[in-house]
This record gives sequence, C-alpha cells and structure tokens, in this order.
Amino acid sequence: MARIMKPSRRQILKASAALGAAAASGPFFHIGPAKADKGELVVASWGGSWAKALREVMFDDFEKMTGIKVSDDGPPEAAKVKAMVESGNVTWDILDTDVPAILTMMKNNLLMPLDYAKIDADKLAKIPKVLHHSHAIGHKIYSFNIVYNSKTFPRGKQPASWADVWNGDKFKGARSFNFRGGIYPQLEFALLADGVATEQLYPLDVERAWRIYDKLRPLVTKWYGSHAEAIQLLSTGEVDIACTVGPRGISAKRAGAPIDVDYSQGKLAADNWAIVRGAKNPEAAHQFINFALAGERQAGMSKRDPYGPSNPDAFKFLSESEAADLTTSPANIKSQFWHGVDWWSKVGPDNKTEAERQTERYAAWMLRRI
Amino acid sequence: MDAAPDLNSGGTGGGGGSAPAASPWRPRPDWLVAFALVFFAVVYAYPLVRLVAWSFWAPGFTFRNFAQIVAEPAYLQAFYNTVEIAGIATAVCLALGYPLAYLMATTDPRPRMILGALILIPFWTSVLVRTLAWVVLLGRNGIINQALLAWGLVERPIPLVFNNIGVQIGMVHVLLPFMVLPLYAVMARIDPSLVTAARSLGASPARAFLAVFAPLSLPGVVAGASLVFLMALGFYVTPALLGGPNEITVATLIEIMVRDLLDWGSGAALGLLLLAGVASVFAAGAVYAGAGRLVGAERA
Repeated sequence: MARIMKPSRRQILKASAALGAAAASGPFFHIGPAKADKGELVVASWGGSWAKALREVMFDDFEKMTGIKVSDDGPPEAAKVKAMVESGNVTWDILDTDVPAILTMMKNNLLMPLDYAKIDADKLAKIPKVLHHSHAIGHKIYSFNIVYNSKTFPRGKQPASWADVWNGDKFKGARSFNFRGGIYPQLEFALLADGVATEQLYPLDVERAWRIYDKLRPLVTKWYGSHAEAIQLLSTGEVDIACTVGPRGISAKRAGAPIDVDYSQGKLAADNWAIVRGAKNPEAAHQFINFALAGERQAGMSKRDPYGPSNPDAFKFLSESEAADLTTSPANIKSQFWHGVDWWSKVGPDNKTEAERQTERYAAWMLRRI
Repeated sequence: MDAAPDLNSGGTGGGGGSAPAASPWRPRPDWLVAFALVFFAVVYAYPLVRLVAWSFWAPGFTFRNFAQIVAEPAYLQAFYNTVEIAGIATAVCLALGYPLAYLMATTDPRPRMILGALILIPFWTSVLVRTLAWVVLLGRNGIINQALLAWGLVERPIPLVFNNIGVQIGMVHVLLPFMVLPLYAVMARIDPSLVTAARSLGASPARAFLAVFAPLSLPGVVAGASLVFLMALGFYVTPALLGGPNEITVATLIEIMVRDLLDWGSGAALGLLLLAGVASVFAAGAVYAGAGRLVGAERA
C-alpha cells in the first residue's frame, strides 16, 4: 500500500514545521521521560500487560545479544509523535501501534520508510503481504469481533454474525460500540449485517453502511472510547454484546471474567513496528524489528498476551491449547477478513483520507439529535 | 470572617503592589510578582499564543478552521450540548448549594466545621476515580438499580447513566464545592443584625430573608454560578464517561480533532471559541461581583 506523498504537501509541511520551530525558539521546555541516544533504543508501546511481555520476551534478550539498551515509553499517540517531530526533539525510535495511527502519521510525514533489505527475507515471505506497508510492518494481530457476556449468552446461544448483533429482537441485550479513541466507525460490520458478502465489502458502500448504522443506534447503551472501557462494561454486565478487540476478550476470559468471543466475520487488523522520522538510531531500530519478527519471539508474546502472531512460524512454538483461542490460529483466521487498509487510506480530492472523512462524519452522525 | 460586607468593591484581583513601604527594610512585593508573571508567561501565555496561531493557520493565514466549524451544524450542536449541560449543572448546584451555604453561615461553629469538611472531602479524590465510581453505582447492575428492583419499585433497571442524568449527577458532585464556598464566603459576612432589624420592624421571616438576606447574598450567587458554569464548560472526563450521544461536548470534539485527526487547526479554533465563551461569562461575572471573588481573593 505504498503511498506517494505529493511533494507540494511535503514542502508545505516542512515550511510549517520550520515556522513552528521558529515560534518555539524562546523559553520553551521539552520534558521527555526517556531519551533516545547513541547505543540506546526507545520503544513506545501502549503499555499494560503487553509492555511487560515486551520487556520479558524481547527487550532483555535483545540487550544481551546486541549490547543495545532498550527502554520503553508510551503511549505512542500520533499527536505526541507530531509534537516531537515538529519540535525537532525526537525521543522515541520505534513505535508499536495500529494502522489508523500509522496512516495518520504517514500523511503527516512523521515516519521513516522501512528498509525491507534489512529484514530477513524468509520472515518477510511468511508474514502476509497485506501487513507490509511502506513505513510499517504488522507484527501483532488483533481483530474486531463479537465479544459477549457468557452469562447472558451461554456458548452455543451467542450472536454469531453481525446480522445477529444488529437483531435486537432475536438477541435481547445492551450493545456497546466504539466512538472516538482513534477507532474507525465499523462500516464493514453494518454492510455484513445487511447481507453483503465478505469478498464484496471493498470499496465500501458508504451511504448504505451509514443507513444500517442508524439501525444500530437504539440498541447501543454506551459508545465506548477505549477497548479497556468496552471490556469493563462487559465484565460488569453493563452491556451484553460489544464490538471490540477479540484478543482483549480472550485475555479477560482467561482472567475469569464472564466474557467470550465469537470470531465469525471478524475484522483482522495489526499493530505495527514503525520508526519515527528523525529517530537517533535507525540502524539499531531495523535490527530490533528484524529480531522481533521471528516466530519464536512472537510466540513468546502470544503466550503472555493472547494476540495473534503475524509470522505463522510462531505456531510451531505454541501448544494446541495455547493456539486455539488466538485470532490468527488456522481455525479462527478462516472465518475473518483483513481490514481494507487501501480503501481507508485512499486520499480524495479534498486531500482527506477516507478514514478522516468517515471519522468526521461519525462525529457529525453521533451529534445529530434523534 | 471579618468586617461588614463591602459588596461593590470586590478585590483588587490577585494581590498586586501595595502602597509604598513605610519602613526601608520591607521588600517591595513587585519582585515576587515579576517571578509569577514570568512563570505565567511561559506556561500559559505562550501556549495560548501558539493556540491562536494554529487556529488561523492551515497552512497559511486563513479563517478556514473557523468557517468549517460554523458551517457544520453538528459542531454547533456540540456547543449547544456544552452550554446546556453547564447551564443545568449550574442551576442544580445553586439549588443544592444555596441552602447548604445558608446553613453553614448561620449554624454553630462545630456543625459548620463538619459541613465544611464533608464538602471538601471529595476534593481529595481524582475526578476520574469519582466518575468511574458513578458508573458502578448508577449502572444497570449498580446498587441503586438493584435496590430499586429488590424493593419492587421498578420492573427493569432504569437508565441512570450514559445519559444526561448520569452526566449531571457526576458533574454536580464535582462542582458543588465551587458553588458552596463563594456563597458561604459572602453569606458569612452578612451582618445578622440586619435580618433581626427587619424582623423587629415587622417583616415576616420570609420577607426578611427575601428583602434583606437574599439581595445581600446575590454577589455570592453570581460568583458561584459563574465559577461553576465556566468550569462546567470545559469538563471533559465526566460527560465522556457518563454521557451518551446527546452529551458530546466541545471538549470531546477537540479530542477527536487533536488526537484522532491530527487536525490541530480545527482543534485550536474550537478551543479558542470555547475560551471566548468562557472569557465572556467570566467578564460578565467579574463586572457584577468583582473579579476578586471569582478568583478567590477575599481580602483586598
């Protein structure tokens, strides 16, 4: 999905960044909790159990093998990266974040292109092509799924398609869907609920999708702003069905919450490794990404936090029971589809991506009083 | 509380320079003010200038960011929601806060201390924690709904959260002290003998309250109401967590612009419009009650 930036825009961005830097000269402080410097890498991730697993599975061994110290920081919000790059004070090297954020940052010229020559060819051959981006590569697979309260819906009686989720008569119960928090409106699921076949989803029939979204509105009691909020609402029984990240549901289930996941018609997406423009250590950053894409490393991550590995080699290092719940396990991946990055990142004549246009429309849709 | 009420002068607005020192050893306070001004300029005025610059830059000088906001009815709806939520919260805070402040001002020192402590204790907990606690209390499986169900008062849980009711409960909880404290400060300085005099001249208790006490407490009402209203305009966490689609405020919209879309120009324009609204409310309150009371400087 390599996208070429129009030079005019790049010049404009440079010019405005220079202007910003000029405005920033003066008594102005930048306080960074971690500083990327020679012989040191700073990896910004979303924290929590994933960050803890990164330390155990990735950082400690990488430090031992290469002598390059790795520190972690975060959260890798696009707005923070923009502030760093524009002020010329880049304290992070590597980001671990989702495609919407990657696309926004690419459009704002905040990332360094990945040098694929520095990554082992056999790893690249195994990682699905849909995850190879010009400025990022997918490593941690999550998916948007039907996550439900297993007390309300015992296994076997759960909603098993988006048509079921949209059907408030057949499946009584409160729904929760995302709004804001950098998560796109779930237009794909609206179309699937209306009978569109998975293969015919893209390009999305936007007008039809928003019409179907209207029907969802009375069924939703809370529009959540973060996935953690969605899981919280499910586990306290505040809602019965949430459209949220399946692996987070599995994680909650393993911790004993009355939550389960139906992977049918799920939308697969990836968190990515990407390098910040102006990172102090691009060489070491590529070295780390190459190290982290190994199947064995990804398997170690999946054992600690049940996200799907992007490198299928990882399944060689996972037991059958460890693999069964993962979103990219051979059984689960079959019933899901890949998020259409190309469609969402398409830039229109107004210089806005489809993602930006639909995000704005989502805000307007939500604000409309009915 | 000291002195008789001086209702028209208010404060001088945050303690500036005083009269020339009579004694040569007394340091001039201007030095201290200078440090404060430099600090203020760096951490507040400078970012504000940047904000203004962003709002007119897209790139190149433009009014486009503002034009977009005015042209989109949904964005105006967010302003309407914000003002509506803040207005209702202010009215509820006043209705609850006025009798509370009156009780505090007229009761004995000991119960006054207890009331004061009860009002201030919520200050010690973070807004986020208090807000999340309301989700637990007011939710479908929360203790309020469970109790109502158990007593047979309702047949199914009533929606107390993720709507306007939830937002108002959460906001009033956070904002009530900001109403009670300015009200109490004014009421405590009302000379009780004025009410006694009205009574001795034949006024009924209600008449004495309405004709004497209430007008004298009005500056406290204005100060408390302006303070609560303008704080409520900028509230973000409470409406976002306890509200639904009808409680989307300007703050939420700014979050979407700045964090999700990286459209800092539009975010800055929204922020500036909100700031202009806050400033005009503050100015109106300041003109009436004196700026000193709004910023909490009681003694001139």
